Amino acid sequence: MSILLGVLGDSFAVVLARAQAGGEAAFSELWRDSNPALLRYLRVIAPDVADDVAAETWVQVVRGLSAFRGDEPAWRAWLFTTARRRAMDDVRRRSRRPQAPLRDVPAGQLPHTADAADLAMEHFGTRWAIALLAQLPRLQAEVILLRVVAGLDTETVARMVGRSPGAVRVAAHRGLRRLAQILEQAGVTL
Amino acid sequence: MPNFPWPDRWDASWIKDAAPAALLAGTEMPPDSGPGLQPVADVLAALGAPAGSDELAGEAVAMTEFRHRFGVPAPTPCRSRRRRPTLLTSLLSAKAAAVAAIAAVGVGAAATTAAFAGALPGPLQQFAHQTFGAPAAHQDKAPPAGPAASATPVGPNAHSHAAFGLCTAFKRATAHGSAAQKAVAFRNLVKAAGGADNVAAFCAAVPHPGASPSPQPPPTHPTGPPSPHPTGPPSTHPTGPPSTHPTGPPSTHRTGPPSPQS
Repeated sequence: MSILLGVLGDSFAVVLARAQAGGEAAFSELWRDSNPALLRYLRVIAPDVADDVAAETWVQVVRGLSAFRGDEPAWRAWLFTTARRRAMDDVRRRSRRPQAPLRDVPAGQLPHTADAADLAMEHFGTRWAIALLAQLPRLQAEVILLRVVAGLDTETVARMVGRSPGAVRVAAHRGLRRLAQILEQAGVTL
Repeated sequence: MPNFPWPDRWDASWIKDAAPAALLAGTEMPPDSGPGLQPVADVLAALGAPAGSDELAGEAVAMTEFRHRFGVPAPTPCRSRRRRPTLLTSLLSAKAAAVAAIAAVGVGAAATTAAFAGALPGPLQQFAHQTFGAPAAHQDKAPPAGPAASATPVGPNAHSHAAFGLCTAFKRATAHGSAAQKAVAFRNLVKAAGGADNVAAFCAAVPHPGASPSPQPPPTHPTGPPSPHPTGPPSTHPTGPPSTHPTGPPSTHRTGPPSPQS
């Protein structure tokens, strides 16, 4: 299995340098390479405001772009850390209002089997996968997304979510195990 | 199968398995992985599928922000608004002109002293001779006395480029405020003109530098080094490093081999 989302690889340093020098095409390349992964992550951790948070994240990234130093993994870590903080701020703002906070439903009350069964009737698609991940407990879903979609290593993810690397590994593995159970209960066996 | 949550023993055996590590790292799962993991692998593959058009719809907004921040020429109305001269920029221009005039006086005074001492290299000495009456280059006679020995003012005369800068700065400062007039540059101008009453006549006699054989900056600029004009693109970029920048070692790529501890 290989990740199909864009990774600039060897050309990253050149593209970044051009973007930092004001190169429009280079920045566009960075954006198109990273934004789909960013949106998929945000659609799980902040589903109601994913597009807004993504746009705000890019505003902040543009502001700090000139000062950024690092390779592609560092770039992705910076991007997703920025997005996560903005999403957390948004959740905090919402929690001050009378309405129910975002994603504050206990894990046991999450609807999973029925929805998963319905979803399983459809083809495997990105939206379907995102909806499936959204049924996992928050931490499990987040660490899986940061590992698989953002391409970050365990240590970076641990720093981002404020847990130990061991806790991140356990959360990721439990999340995968739970995914397997959901799919099995939904009758998805290949 | 036991219901979730599973007993710890079950979890422990799962974590030791190489299959989930391979799943997370995006590498091939071990051949002895259970059949129940294949649907999970398919879900993760779907998470990394190529971008859909809806995921690229926000590009225009991001590009607008980028152009605005980096000053890339684009048909956006905010550019013309930013270039419109304001009272503030006019005052800043007056200050910049004053700074340039001070610099010109400093450079000019040093150059004048050197020129009158005959200490400049040949071509420069000749230029000084033609411009403000310093001794010609390669004179065989004894060098003349320095400017202190004569009764003429030390400052640049009406033919020097520095005088043009002084006069230009003086005019702008007169138009926009009186504080700049008190600067050293303007005292020097008054001194060079031989009195405050003579400033107008002194400046009227200053030839336009464009008429001189040497290359000159645009007519509206005073002489001397480039002044800190406030008409350039605004330097509003943050100078500090991003606060969220991770400092850890390079991560293991999802395309690399699975980390043994994952």
